[in-house]
Amino acid sequence: MSISRFISVLVKEYRHILREPRTLWMVFLSPAFVLVALSTIFISGSGRIHLTLWDQDRTPLSRQFVAALSSDDDFSISYASGYEEIDALLARRSVDAVLVIPTGFAHTIQKGDSAPVQVILDGVDTFVAGQATGSLLGHAADFGLELNRQFSTPPPPLQIRAQSAYLPEASERESMIPGLIPIVFSLPVMAAALALARERESGSLESLVATPVRGLEYLGGKLIAYVTAALVGLLPVWLTAVLLFGVPFRGSSLLLVALTIDFLLASVGMALFIGNLTRSQQTATVIALFVFFVPGFFLTGMIDPLDTTDLASTAISYALPSTHFVTICRAIFLKGANLVEVWRPALALLALSVAWVGLGALTFKKRIY
Amino acid sequence: MLSDPTAVSKTALLRIMRNILYRIRGLVIKELLQLRRDKLLLGFLILGPLLELLLMGGMTGGGVRNLPLAVVDLDRSRASRELVARLDQTDELLVRAYGESVAQAEEWMQSGQVGVIVAIPPGYGASLTDPLQSAEVQVIADGSSYVVSNVAIGAAENVAAEIVRDIAARYGLASALHRPVGANAPTGPVELRFIARFNAALDGQPGAITMMLGLIVYQVTLIIAAQSFTRERELGTLEQLRVTPLGRVELMAGKAIPTLVVGLVDALLMIGVIVAWFDIPLRGSLPLLLLLTVPFVLVQIGWGTLISLISRTQQQAMLFVFALAMLEIACSGFLVPAGSLPEAMRVLSRFSSVQHYMAIVRGVMLRGAGLGVLWSPGLALGGIALAVMTLAWLRLWVGLDADSLRQRLRAAGHIRWRERRVVRRTKKPKLSREPAYVDVRVEIDD
Repeated sequence: MSISRFISVLVKEYRHILREPRTLWMVFLSPAFVLVALSTIFISGSGRIHLTLWDQDRTPLSRQFVAALSSDDDFSISYASGYEEIDALLARRSVDAVLVIPTGFAHTIQKGDSAPVQVILDGVDTFVAGQATGSLLGHAADFGLELNRQFSTPPPPLQIRAQSAYLPEASERESMIPGLIPIVFSLPVMAAALALARERESGSLESLVATPVRGLEYLGGKLIAYVTAALVGLLPVWLTAVLLFGVPFRGSSLLLVALTIDFLLASVGMALFIGNLTRSQQTATVIALFVFFVPGFFLTGMIDPLDTTDLASTAISYALPSTHFVTICRAIFLKGANLVEVWRPALALLALSVAWVGLGALTFKKRIY
Repeated sequence: MLSDPTAVSKTALLRIMRNILYRIRGLVIKELLQLRRDKLLLGFLILGPLLELLLMGGMTGGGVRNLPLAVVDLDRSRASRELVARLDQTDELLVRAYGESVAQAEEWMQSGQVGVIVAIPPGYGASLTDPLQSAEVQVIADGSSYVVSNVAIGAAENVAAEIVRDIAARYGLASALHRPVGANAPTGPVELRFIARFNAALDGQPGAITMMLGLIVYQVTLIIAAQSFTRERELGTLEQLRVTPLGRVELMAGKAIPTLVVGLVDALLMIGVIVAWFDIPLRGSLPLLLLLTVPFVLVQIGWGTLISLISRTQQQAMLFVFALAMLEIACSGFLVPAGSLPEAMRVLSRFSSVQHYMAIVRGVMLRGAGLGVLWSPGLALGGIALAVMTLAWLRLWVGLDADSLRQRLRAAGHIRWRERRVVRRTKKPKLSREPAYVDVRVEIDD
């Protein structure tokens, strides 16, 4: 390992990035751009659920129930009568849930019993179905309280006092944005995979073979060039999150920078390993997309938290650097965590970077195909 | 006998058509040969989707399970132990640790070891059975993840409702509470009975897997198309392509057909895996699904061609693809249901091909919908495909070079802006990126 050879590779890589203005902008600004695109879709408060009502009862009490459902903006309500119409609506996907108030609804309640109300959900999108379930249960409970209010009733025997730590408002956008940071950094990371494959495809590796540059110096130069280039993109990303979307930043910025370097070393190392395997940039892109794109959304715990009791899937998730960085970003931004509190994911990233770069160096051969 | 002029023009037309098809065939064969040569790429294009689906399909869609829970039981009674056992029995929560105090448990949450804290106050068991008192349990959820806090609080509330119901059944507490309305019903006067259509168990897997199917077909076709011209440009073979007699439409069609084939083969194989391996039913018609996959892939080919014409290197093309893919994801209803998108994004989502394709895939596979229902997303996909293809064709008409649009605009605006440009030029001389061709003529004396 010679420092001067390493530096000359580094300079060459910087020249590659800086030479193309388009690549330059894409590497620096695309993470922030993508973060804006992904963040604007999260608006606070639950969205409107399309609810269709069939009131078979048609009594003052059933109308009161309907009024309780439309008291806020949770539902956009339409009316139907007959199961054929309901089936058609569900098949056309124009409704998320259907509520059927049976005849005798008011009568049952006035007798003091609980009146059954049928809810037909569209089960395909379980997320919407869950939202609708929760919202309907809440409104039904409110309706019960409303009916009981005129009488003095003691409180129920068990009450839950729920509290959401760190973000008392439980804002979806503010909790999602730090989790999105790892995936927006896959753009500059994937560029590194192509940088390696390009040398092989365009034949410039042949001239490198003739130089005294060794495998580790070559890979190290590429690694550091892309890690530093991507790191510059952290500033626009941070500004977007904190200034544009008002995400609280409670941790130390120095720690964030240090752990972002940690993360970038691991993921650029992984990208270089991919680029090293392939002979053409097209193959490198396809493999990189398979590794970074869909798994980046499904396996990193960005949306649904990981089920750590399932060892096989946890092992795969932990092999992806993004998984650890999702935890780190949320902890630093929202929890104000210090290094001691995030040492586990930080160490995991360090181990991954050593492993991926080591694998890359082992498999890298200065050869011409 | 007089020759019929229409017959002549018909044969001429036929000949032209045959020539066009012949030229397209040549390009298609070249593309397929290129694909066959790169075994790793071919393997990943065909087997990659299947592997990814098999690997990830089994891991996702189970919903939120086994969130690590810390219990701070200051009551230590039978009732509090029962509460903890019930919390542990839920799918969503899993008791991981017992804390001495809330402060200690909060430290665990700070370092990410637990996601939820349930604190049971002293005297919980006593006040639970005392009709005049109400027991209060504190639930603290990790709000840094919206999903964790939502699910955890919901699960705890469900357990609490269950306990209330049981107490009512055991002690007849509800009647003791003198509830005038719904007195025999401790859960309230209205009981909601949920039925989930198309997916009775509300299993998240069918939704997640169909989403993956759409996203994988999307990424594969878009990336092949996006690197088509860029690759040729970078390797220098675009020059050769330019001197062939291929027209613009022929060029686009020749590049599009192999991508379309790969996309359809991938979709078909993945549908097979979904039905055979994951036991997700195919309720509608397979030919209809494949038919509607065609416009979806055509949209990606259009976008890809456009990207490959404006990027100078494959690296740029890949970055464009990823940025576009993120936009599509944002609009597709995958992260946020399409109904709860903000107004501006909802308008944008009408142009998202992934969103329409998801409606089609889920419609055919899970809802068993036919063309009578799916004509509208199908038509939307067709419209988007046509629009994007036209854009790509227009861009091709401008020129094959990555910079040709800029050059054309520069040429068009040249006369008007000449003065200003001259001033700027004299201030700061800029090196031209275009290669200079020098006409060298050597004359040899004899």
